[in-house]
Amino acid sequence: MIRCAALLFAWLPVAGAALAQGMSLPAYERVELDNGTVLIVSEKHDVPLIALQAVMRGGAVTDPQGLDGLSSLVAELLEKGAGSRDAAAFAEAVAAVGGRLSAGANLESTSVSGEFLSRDAGLMIELIADMLRRPALDAGEFARLRDRSVNLRRLARDGDLYGLLPEYGAAFLFGNHVYGRPVDGSEASLGRIRHEDVRRHYQQHFGADRLILSVVGDFDTGSMVAALTQAFGDWERSGTPAEAVPIPDPEPGPRVLLVDKPGAAQTYFWIGAPGVSIGYARRAALNLANTLFGGRYTSMLNQALRADAGLTYDARSVLTRPSQPGTVAITSFTATDTTAEAVDLALEVLATLHREPVPADVLDSARNYMLGQFPTALETAPQLAGILAQLEQYGLGRGYVDDYAGALVHVDAAALGAVIAEVYPAAADLVFVLLGDAEKIRDAAERYGPVTAIPISAPEFRP
Amino acid sequence: MALFAELRRRNVLKVALIYAVASWLVLWFVQHAGDALGLPGWAKTLIVLVLATGFPVALVFAWIYDITSSGVRKTPAVDQTQSVVYKTGQKLNAALAVLAVLGLLALIGEDFMPEFQFPVFGVPEGDAPSLPGTPAEIRSLVLDNGMKVIVWPDHDIPNVALYNFVRASVRNEQAGATGLSHFFEHMMFLGTRNHPAGEFDRIMEAAGGSNNAYTSKDLTVYQDWFPRSALETVFQLEADRLQFLAIDEEVLESERNVVLSERQSSVDDDNFSLLMEQVYATAFVAHPYQFPVIGWPADIAAWTERDLNAYFRSYYAPGNCLLVVAGDVTPQDVFRLATRHLAPIPAQRPASPVRAVEPAQQGGRRVAIERDAAAPLLHMAFHAGAAGERSTLVLDLLLKILATGDSSRLHRSLVEESGVAIAVGGYQDEGFDAGLAYFYLTLAPDADPLAVEERVMGELQRAATEGVSEAELDKARSILLADFWRGLATIDGKASALGYFEVLEGGYESLFDLPARVGAIGIDELRDVAAGVFRRDNLTTGTLRAPDGAGTAQ
Repeated sequence: MIRCAALLFAWLPVAGAALAQGMSLPAYERVELDNGTVLIVSEKHDVPLIALQAVMRGGAVTDPQGLDGLSSLVAELLEKGAGSRDAAAFAEAVAAVGGRLSAGANLESTSVSGEFLSRDAGLMIELIADMLRRPALDAGEFARLRDRSVNLRRLARDGDLYGLLPEYGAAFLFGNHVYGRPVDGSEASLGRIRHEDVRRHYQQHFGADRLILSVVGDFDTGSMVAALTQAFGDWERSGTPAEAVPIPDPEPGPRVLLVDKPGAAQTYFWIGAPGVSIGYARRAALNLANTLFGGRYTSMLNQALRADAGLTYDARSVLTRPSQPGTVAITSFTATDTTAEAVDLALEVLATLHREPVPADVLDSARNYMLGQFPTALETAPQLAGILAQLEQYGLGRGYVDDYAGALVHVDAAALGAVIAEVYPAAADLVFVLLGDAEKIRDAAERYGPVTAIPISAPEFRP
Repeated sequence: MALFAELRRRNVLKVALIYAVASWLVLWFVQHAGDALGLPGWAKTLIVLVLATGFPVALVFAWIYDITSSGVRKTPAVDQTQSVVYKTGQKLNAALAVLAVLGLLALIGEDFMPEFQFPVFGVPEGDAPSLPGTPAEIRSLVLDNGMKVIVWPDHDIPNVALYNFVRASVRNEQAGATGLSHFFEHMMFLGTRNHPAGEFDRIMEAAGGSNNAYTSKDLTVYQDWFPRSALETVFQLEADRLQFLAIDEEVLESERNVVLSERQSSVDDDNFSLLMEQVYATAFVAHPYQFPVIGWPADIAAWTERDLNAYFRSYYAPGNCLLVVAGDVTPQDVFRLATRHLAPIPAQRPASPVRAVEPAQQGGRRVAIERDAAAPLLHMAFHAGAAGERSTLVLDLLLKILATGDSSRLHRSLVEESGVAIAVGGYQDEGFDAGLAYFYLTLAPDADPLAVEERVMGELQRAATEGVSEAELDKARSILLADFWRGLATIDGKASALGYFEVLEGGYESLFDLPARVGAIGIDELRDVAAGVFRRDNLTTGTLRAPDGAGTAQ
């Protein structure tokens, strides 16, 4: 009888595993090579594609003073000729097999993302190894790329103004700290970058000790590990060790940056303050708080500004969480003549967040929403490759994902209240960016704090 | 210890175990067959409660009574009847073994046959695909009211993507009332007879779902993404707004401002969109494709409740809708819910078909905008074909070669070699009616748009006379193939692709022979299509630059 019972209970973990399906990371293998490179490899066979995410620790925080955008340029230059191929041949090699390959700089890393049909796995590894280990960094390509980047910065003023807010916000909040630098550079900083800067940056910040290679898709683990080891196993370490980012010390609010775009039909605004780092322990509670405050359609902010007042098409709250405390910010936009009304309303919603406990049904709704949407973030090979690389980069372990649903279920009203009080700023600490027609909104801007004004044509984001 | 021995002797432990396993089996059955049997939520809760309260009752019963050959008797306190208790124990062992095996079979079956359904009467099975290349698990069904439902089961994640394609858009609009379809797309979220404005989103998000919608020139598409557990809720919400949408005056006014805000940030404050809007309005003289999807500002300000109600009656008829569901569902689940919630929506007379036909363009057209701009913009649009035509697929391949990515001809020539452009791209419309093949270029600050236009025409005419190389054609085929697989890597992509092909390419099964059709295209066809499309008398050129004398920077 006892034997029967034991056999029966042995199957319960199988049933439990079925319930957790979609909410946890797949199995993966982690291999650390002698030269410091870390390989993370996971099989996925639903479609014949392979996704690779290569992460080099470093990024914009390693840009020398005044040369914001250097790592961004270096990243883009990696594709403009590498190994035995010049820029044209490299682009042709990728496109000929329908592959995708791109490189870019982030705040604290440079990443290369690739997605190829599984039949072209060998080519993909060859191209990425060439990009990282043997980029041409050609002077002519560099000059063209830099000039094009300067033009693109200028162009941004003609288009997506909402997308410029985080750069102005970070610059105004963090001042001279590395977190205040625009990752893609500014018109002024890009103009100062020389070819020698590129070569020096590459030599100092690219090497095996900085590298994480995360590969997910339609392949065999053993063969993939062997191929990656062969391609990267003998790479040398970088010229300098990765440095820790200093703790930011932002100037407190209230203060206002007014970015003037004469004739703008709308005002785009960012209301921010220092936030938390990626290591913040009460992450589930914080994500829950941000979801219900400004992270979904029926959030407090979007309900108030869009659904109830019709003042905007979009209102949200955003957290950035790098290795040191980042930002927490409310962002939205509205017609020029309703600027004060919209900003006041956003501040009122923030006050409500602090003043009134979150109703139980709202907490449950936000939790269900997050649990319901969670599996879609783990659906594709590129998504999984990205997450696995990020976990490795910040030393987070698979529990960061696997335990997340359980952690969400345990967030109660008290925990939520504590996180709101700790992370979301009081009105007096806020830093504002208002981007719009200064002639019309200057008076409104002055109501929120002492105003610094710059034209949108200014070549720097920082005043 | 004595108590434990007594519990064993009176078979209480065995009964407890049997009861637990039997309850688990009942609950497993209810979970899997409950939906098929139409069990309401409260019935499932009741079953759980009954089983839970029955547990202590069963234990007490086991303690007091024994099953003997002459029926149920009270268990004697003394061991003389041990032989009877022993026999009871043997019967219970047998019962336990049988239940344990059933339990194991249930778990194994669940693992190996996740799609097995307890057969239920009254729910149509739907039609299986007819072409060999189509995944066999897809099913489709046409409801009595004309609405078609397609289901693609996929159990990789416990989520579902649901799309409703409504064949109504700008194409169906008229001058003076443009933007109505897009506005309607907004209003579909803002109140029904049963759920006032805001409840649709609150209910959906509280159930774990998110949603969106978009309006193209040909279709209005509603999208829901939700966990499996919210399936019935989503069907109820979708059926409710299709049948009982109620337009409230106050909500209408508020949303009008939201759309004006959307127009301001996406067009008025965005040079690219502004120019594109003007090029479409210039390229088409007779067909509604000339209208912007968001509508002209005066029309946005003028819509009335009567306009919206008339529009709803004409276009949101069930027969004009296609529902596509992909994800952790079975066709039976979906057809049962569709039959219950969507089939009752009354059929309506089909809307009058679109009569406008764009006459052949008689000569080149131009629109030149002067406006503050950091970089000049150049757009070049040619009249091309409609979705589903062979020439449209050929043009797809051609556009990959000419304008997609860093290895494309236009990028190499204009961005890398001569540096007159910063960025270049191209696409074609692929709608119900003939649309545009559209090239868009961001130029270097000192470039002359007219000179660049000549360079572009030179490249396009080279393709029209010399055609393309085999290597280029192989590249274009590979890009299409890889994109095909990327599109099918998510349940969202599956639902979207299936619906697009069903509505615009004659049937969802065409999606799956796309690679073969691409392979069948001959290299000369690209040259011939280029010659037919890239003609000056078929061209509308749009330029946007800062006024002469103004600085290039803002």
